[in-house]
Order: sequence, then structure tokens, then C-alpha cells
Amino acid sequence: MAQALMNLISAPLLAQAGRAAAGAAPSMERARTVSDRAADALQYSIWAAVLYIAIGLVAVLVVVSVLGLVMSYIERKVAGHFQCRLGPMRVGPHGILQSLADGIKLLFKEGIEPGHGDKVIFIGAPIFSITATILLLAIVPVAPGIQVVDMNVGVVYIAAVSGIGVMGILMGGWSSDNKWSLLGAMRAGAQMISYEISLTIAILVVVMFSGTLRVSEIIESQQQGWWIWRGHGVAIVAFCLYLIASTAELNRTPFDLPEGESELTGGYHTEYSGLRFSFFFLAEFANLFVFSALATTFFLGGWLPFHIGDYEAFNRVMDILPPVISPLFWFGTKCTVLIFVLMWFRWTFPRLRMDQLMRLEWKVLLPFGFANLILAATVVLTGLYFFPTAT
Amino acid sequence: MTTTTSDQANIESPPMDFGDLKSQCVAPRPSIMGRRRSLSGILWLSAKGILRGLLTTLSYFRRPSTVVTQQYPENRDTLQMFERYRGRLSLIHNEDGEHGCTGCQICERLCPNGSIIVTKDKKNEATGKPALDQFIWRQDTCTFCNICVLVCPFDTLEMTGDFESSVYDRRLLVFNLNEYAGPTADQLEKLGDEELAKAQMKPMKKYQGPVPMCGGELDGIPKLDTGKSDDA
Repeated sequence: MAQALMNLISAPLLAQAGRAAAGAAPSMERARTVSDRAADALQYSIWAAVLYIAIGLVAVLVVVSVLGLVMSYIERKVAGHFQCRLGPMRVGPHGILQSLADGIKLLFKEGIEPGHGDKVIFIGAPIFSITATILLLAIVPVAPGIQVVDMNVGVVYIAAVSGIGVMGILMGGWSSDNKWSLLGAMRAGAQMISYEISLTIAILVVVMFSGTLRVSEIIESQQQGWWIWRGHGVAIVAFCLYLIASTAELNRTPFDLPEGESELTGGYHTEYSGLRFSFFFLAEFANLFVFSALATTFFLGGWLPFHIGDYEAFNRVMDILPPVISPLFWFGTKCTVLIFVLMWFRWTFPRLRMDQLMRLEWKVLLPFGFANLILAATVVLTGLYFFPTAT
Repeated sequence: MTTTTSDQANIESPPMDFGDLKSQCVAPRPSIMGRRRSLSGILWLSAKGILRGLLTTLSYFRRPSTVVTQQYPENRDTLQMFERYRGRLSLIHNEDGEHGCTGCQICERLCPNGSIIVTKDKKNEATGKPALDQFIWRQDTCTFCNICVLVCPFDTLEMTGDFESSVYDRRLLVFNLNEYAGPTADQLEKLGDEELAKAQMKPMKKYQGPVPMCGGELDGIPKLDTGKSDDA
């Protein structure tokens, strides 16, 4: 038993040692993610691999639940500041117990299923919704090594998996046996599928610049400077496209037509109550973090500090934080700023009409995205961007 | 914007009166797409508009006190709702407590969802004319459409600013609006006899006045057991 335990602990170390002995160049080796460690451990003991998978799963679930609590609190506070409302000041000092109180309230609410609805799909929809979020969270690179899985087709994975969220909403709306839910779900389907194209096109610009689909390599390619300023206007336009499209993907104002509480009495989640309702919102808040984190990764250099090419003195000042804190600090700061910007949008812009929404996507964003993509290709081929030797 | 030759911009609307809020209706601004603009012009205009909106809300974010928001539960004592606000329906009573409702039932007939029930005496003994018995208003089904106020030929109804009406039982939202069952103020004046008028205004029923009909028997509304007998 003790031997087995020892094996369990030492397995990944041994595997690593073996890999080093095999002569893999240490400078080329990526930081090892949870899935890498699990794969290494699999050579030695299946239980060690299971342990690592469990660690990854638990970490993601903890992140989802903590995000749900923290984000709803931040959202309330930001909204309260924008509108001078004292609402989120009452429960606990500065309202910090508000999210907890909300959670307890939702726990005790009755889970109602519509009588003529499709019960199985109805129950499955919120789970689908949150599954998409969890799958996306798995690829979010927080810091070197703090990432569940880092696959070589990361960007394709992101584009594929973010589509599952639409399924959850469509299922919820369809199975509710309610015209508002159905209308909300149809709007959601039309909106999210349309904007996914623009989102992917915006990301493709960065893929072209960095020449890789692997998320961690995209970050590493920004060692000399973040793509948003190294790629000139092309990257800035792509960033704006990404910001707009991800707002629509997140169903946040000004693109919150699937909910549309004033015209659809709640949209696709009209019939949901209690925990099932909160699952939808947990997914939405976690998605807010995921899309900000991905924007950080693609355009703002992920966990990397602000560097300018070869200017050693400047770069050293930026590297002043110890290597353990530095990635978390930079990633956290960039993410927080982006999340704030998305919340800022919410309390600034009025909701669009459905035809305006569709026109914006198909007649404005998509042509601009394609033109920008072609322009980006030209920029990459001619090496017109800053520090082209870095890639 | 000001140099536009569009016809729309020359339309001048008269000032409109919104109760306390004095507002002038401004002619609609020419739309971005209405005039022929270059692509860069449209982009520039859009970006400018978006940025201006964002900066406005950011200034609110930095100084929340500049936002005009009523701090509601704190200002309960001083809160004045707007004149046009449609809160509770109420029967207007003058300083002597007399109302002007003849029980003509126009409001009942025109109420879109049957939230008003007016019952009347066929013939009041003192005046010899029909008089109001009960003016029942069901707030639980009312949509506050204001039609009853508009159609009343005697201007005896109004929507008050009273909006705090949350209760735990919807049967508590059925009100009797008249303070007494009897003739209108005009008819009481015509009587000439003050003693007789006073007698006419004496409460004849148990649930008189603008109180919830929580103890009253009414068709379709079951009697509510409040546990507090008749004082509710």
C-alpha cells in the first residue's frame, strides 16, 4: 500500500526525469499542464493519471463556482455604481454576503417543470450550458502550467466547444413548452451562430500572426510585444470585432435579445427556477471570464508582462515581479479590465432590435472581418508588423 | 449635424407638458444612414457615438452621486410620485368626506378586464335617486390603464401615487373605495337639511371606506381568514 502510494507520488517525477534523460531540449519544452502530467503518469500507473484528471476536474468546478459568486457580486457593485443604487450594500458589510444569500435562496426554491414540456431535455439544457463553459475553462491558460489541457488545435477546439452553449439554450427554450422561451431560444440560436463566425475570424488574425493553433504558443509568440499593438490597426480591428462578437456570444447587453426580459419575460429561461436557473447564470458568468481570458490570451499577451521588443532596460522593469506572482498578476489584471469593459458596455448601451442585430453581423462585422483577415495576411506576408523576427 | 438640409430637421414641435417634467420635443436628428456618407464617415460617427456614451457612463461610475436616483426606502417620508403616476385607484372625496360618484357604472362597463364592480341603490330614500352602494376595485387584476379615470363623467376617480401595495394574499388587493354608501355631494347639498345629509353618510356596512375587502363577501372572491377578525 505504502509502495503504491509512493509510486503514485513519484510517477510523474520519474516520467519527467525519463523525458529529460531522453534528451528533450529543455528550452523548447512547454510548461507542463495537468493533462500532460496525467499522460506522463499513465505510463507508470493508471491511478496517478486518474488523480491528475480528478485534480483538473475539481479545479475547474471550483473555478466555476467561485466565478459565479464573485462575478455576480462584481456585477451588482458595478451596476450600483453606474446607477447610484444602494441595492448591493445591504447584506453584510458592503454587501459581500449578497452572492451567498442569493445562492441559499436559489437552493431553497422549488424546481418546477412545465407540464407539457419535454422533461428530459428540460433538465438536460442547463447541464449542457454549463458543460460548454467547463470545456472552455479547461483550455484557459492562467499561467505557465496552470492550465488543464493545452492541445495543438486549441483555437479549433475553442471555436467548436463554444458552440455547445447554443445547444443548451436552444434545448431549454424548445423543451419549455412556452412561446416566450421558444422565441428567446430561436433568437439565441440565430444570434450566437451568426456572431460565432465573426468571433472566429477575429481570432484567425492572431493565429496568422503567431503561426500556431496552440494557445500557450500563441502567448509565447507575444514575448516581444502583445499582438494588439504589434499588429498595428489590423490587430486593433480584430480586437474590436472580437469584443463585439464575444459580447453577443455572452448574450450580454446590448445583445441580450435571447433573455430580453422586458419583451420576452425572461426568454429561454422563463420556465426555469431555482438551481436550474442559476446553472444558466453560472454558465453566463463563467463565460464572461472565459471570453475575457481568451481575449487576453489572443490579443493582450496572456500571462506575459508588457514588453517592447529588444529594449532590455524597459523589459527588465516590467519583469520586476517574482516569476511566481508575475503571470497571475498580469493575467488577472488584463482579465479584470476586460470584464469591467464588458460590464461597462452593459450599463451604457441600449438593447438592439433583432433586425439591427442581424444587420450588424451580416452586413457590417462579417465583411469587415473578411477584409481585415485579407489585410492581416498581407501584413504577415510582408512582415510589416513590429519585430517580425520574433515569430 | 446642424448644417443638414433634411426636411425632418426643420420640423418644430410644440413643447409638451409631462406633469412636473417640462420637456420640449426635439426634432429627430437625421439618421446616419439617411444622408449619403462615406464609409469612413459612418465608422467615425459610430465610434464617436459609442465613445461618447461610454465616457458619459464612466463619469457616472466615478461620481455615482451625480446620477439622479431616488434612494427609495430612505426617502419614504419625502417621496413624491409624479402627477401622471398611476398607483392606486381612489374615489375623490372632498373635505367633508363626500364623493361625487352617482354609481352610473360607466367605469365598470369600460374596464377592459372587469376590475371594477359598482353596485348601487335603485332608489335612495332621501333623494329619490339612485345612489352608490359599493365601489369595488380589484387591484389584483387591474392593469392601471387609466380608462376608468378618463371616462368618468363626474371626474370622481383618480390614480394616486400610492404604490406600496405588496401583500401575501391577493385577496387583500380587493378594495372598497367609497367611504360611505349613499348619494353624491351635489345631491346631499340639494337636500338642504344638514342632519339628514349626515345621516345619509353614516356607515351602513361593516367594510366601508377604502379598506381591503378582506372580510367582505363578494361573488367569486372567497372570504379570507385573516385570524385578526374584522380589524384588518
